[in-house]
Amino acid sequence: MLRFLGNRLLQSAVVLLGVSAIVFFCLFLAGDPAALMMSPDASRAEIDTFRKAMGFDDPVLVQYLRYLGKALTGDFGISLRFQRPVLELVLERLPATALLAVAALAWSTTLGFVFGVLAAIKPGGLVDFLVRTVALAGQAVPVFWLGLVLILFFAMKWRLLPTGGYGEARHLILPALTLGAYYTSAVTRLVRASLIDVMGEDYIRTARAKGLSPGRVITGHALRNALIPVLTVQAMYFAALLGGALVTEIIFAWPGIGRLAVQAIQNRDFPLVQAVVLLASTVFVLANLMVDIAYVLLNPRIRL
Amino acid sequence: MTPELRRSFAGIDGWVGAILLIAVLLLAVLGPQLWALDPIKGVLTATFKPPGTIVSGQWHPLGTDQLGRDLLVRIMAGTRLSLGIVVIAGLISALIGTGLGLLAGYAGGWADIIIMRLVDIQLSIPFILLVLLVIAVLGPSIANVVIVLGVTGWAIFARVARARTLEVRELDYVEAARALGASRLRIVLRHILPNIITPQIVLLTLDLPRLIVLEASIGFLGLGVQPPVPTLGNLIGEGRSYLLVADWLVIYPGLVIAALVIGFNFLGDGLIRLTQVRVD
Repeated sequence: MLRFLGNRLLQSAVVLLGVSAIVFFCLFLAGDPAALMMSPDASRAEIDTFRKAMGFDDPVLVQYLRYLGKALTGDFGISLRFQRPVLELVLERLPATALLAVAALAWSTTLGFVFGVLAAIKPGGLVDFLVRTVALAGQAVPVFWLGLVLILFFAMKWRLLPTGGYGEARHLILPALTLGAYYTSAVTRLVRASLIDVMGEDYIRTARAKGLSPGRVITGHALRNALIPVLTVQAMYFAALLGGALVTEIIFAWPGIGRLAVQAIQNRDFPLVQAVVLLASTVFVLANLMVDIAYVLLNPRIRL
Repeated sequence: MTPELRRSFAGIDGWVGAILLIAVLLLAVLGPQLWALDPIKGVLTATFKPPGTIVSGQWHPLGTDQLGRDLLVRIMAGTRLSLGIVVIAGLISALIGTGLGLLAGYAGGWADIIIMRLVDIQLSIPFILLVLLVIAVLGPSIANVVIVLGVTGWAIFARVARARTLEVRELDYVEAARALGASRLRIVLRHILPNIITPQIVLLTLDLPRLIVLEASIGFLGLGVQPPVPTLGNLIGEGRSYLLVADWLVIYPGLVIAALVIGFNFLGDGLIRLTQVRVD
């Protein structure tokens, strides 16, 4: 177990190192990062001064190592637009995104499980057909479109909920619904497929033969084992969740990291963009790491 | 129709998918010939007309936008461009990914280790952020969107190609080719590649929905192909400002995206059943 942990930690560190390199060298794709960050009407002299101040004159490798060293100590540079440390800005916005993500995950995982189990009780039945249709629709419509349609009906036409904003519970409902829809569908399909798979196993037949009720067979025997594949794929959907959070926050004027990132890109505030990409990737890598550990703990067939 | 094909489309979803996809493809490919209005130039006396309105003899089945442009023809042109972008981007991803996957699987050793770590790195960066970052640096243009989507999507193709290569390289006929003295390049291209190509095509079909939504998201955020040239995403992005007065501008392009996503998903599922390949 310790060796597995050590290996996985090392692997995660290598991946994050790679991510930091990609994020850093992206700025050099267009040639001159100084010209890129300045406004298009900046003079030659202004760009030169800026280049010196930012250290863009040094060899690229030196710059990268310097960036890495600073990033490791939590210094991601100064936002060009806000003239404040990037880390501060990101941390300020973190609670809003975390709240949105947790709310979306909570309702979608719960509902996804319920739908998945209902559909798996009788595959091919009416309930299964309905659940699959809903799940399909949830995965097919783009997040931003769903958000706009919800705003159109719930906020503009029926005036039940605000179109956007932050601070009260009623502000959270539409964004959380929007962001969680795709995820609900994903969990539903996974739980359903995984349960149907497990229901064909011998030990399920044994449990049935013992005279257990169908409910007990599912909750006591099948669901535990059906959980494992669901868990592994969960981490992959995390990336989709991050992407979804980006557009959801834009649509509902939700003051989180996604909105910060898009604004930073529109303002060509590259230090801020770099920090957000790096942070999002770190969260993703850590989530994967935790899923792998949980996988080992949950599955008695894997003994390390 | 062969028995296999019939079986794969026996389920109702196979047919629904096929019909949706054919309908949207007809809309994109033949539509502009049959519905020859200008998607860029509008009629300023015909702004915000709801679906079904007739303005000075011209019927607008899906209504008009803020500049009096016919929404149907904008959607046709947008679908055509968006589809073109994601299909080319998908092919670029498949090409890069298959090449690297073959290399990792067949050469093994350091090449394998490095390529698989690159896969991990690529999959750890949220696509949309990376794509937005690169487009912000390079500037938004059709070519840049294609390149960025193409270059960032290779990782899953590499993973599947490598796994298949590892299986195929141990088969007897590859062994036989090696014994006959075939060069490594010849073995890879003539003997291994043809056997891993089917899963890659299935994978491409299943990856297209992801690309369609990604391209639309970039367009929606205003960082992709710039208006007045329509794409499915920027149509919704533009229509967003007029949601209350002209909701059709948002609703119809979204339905086309959903139809495409469902269509390609069903096609991919059908192909999996037809070819019996595993892509996980």
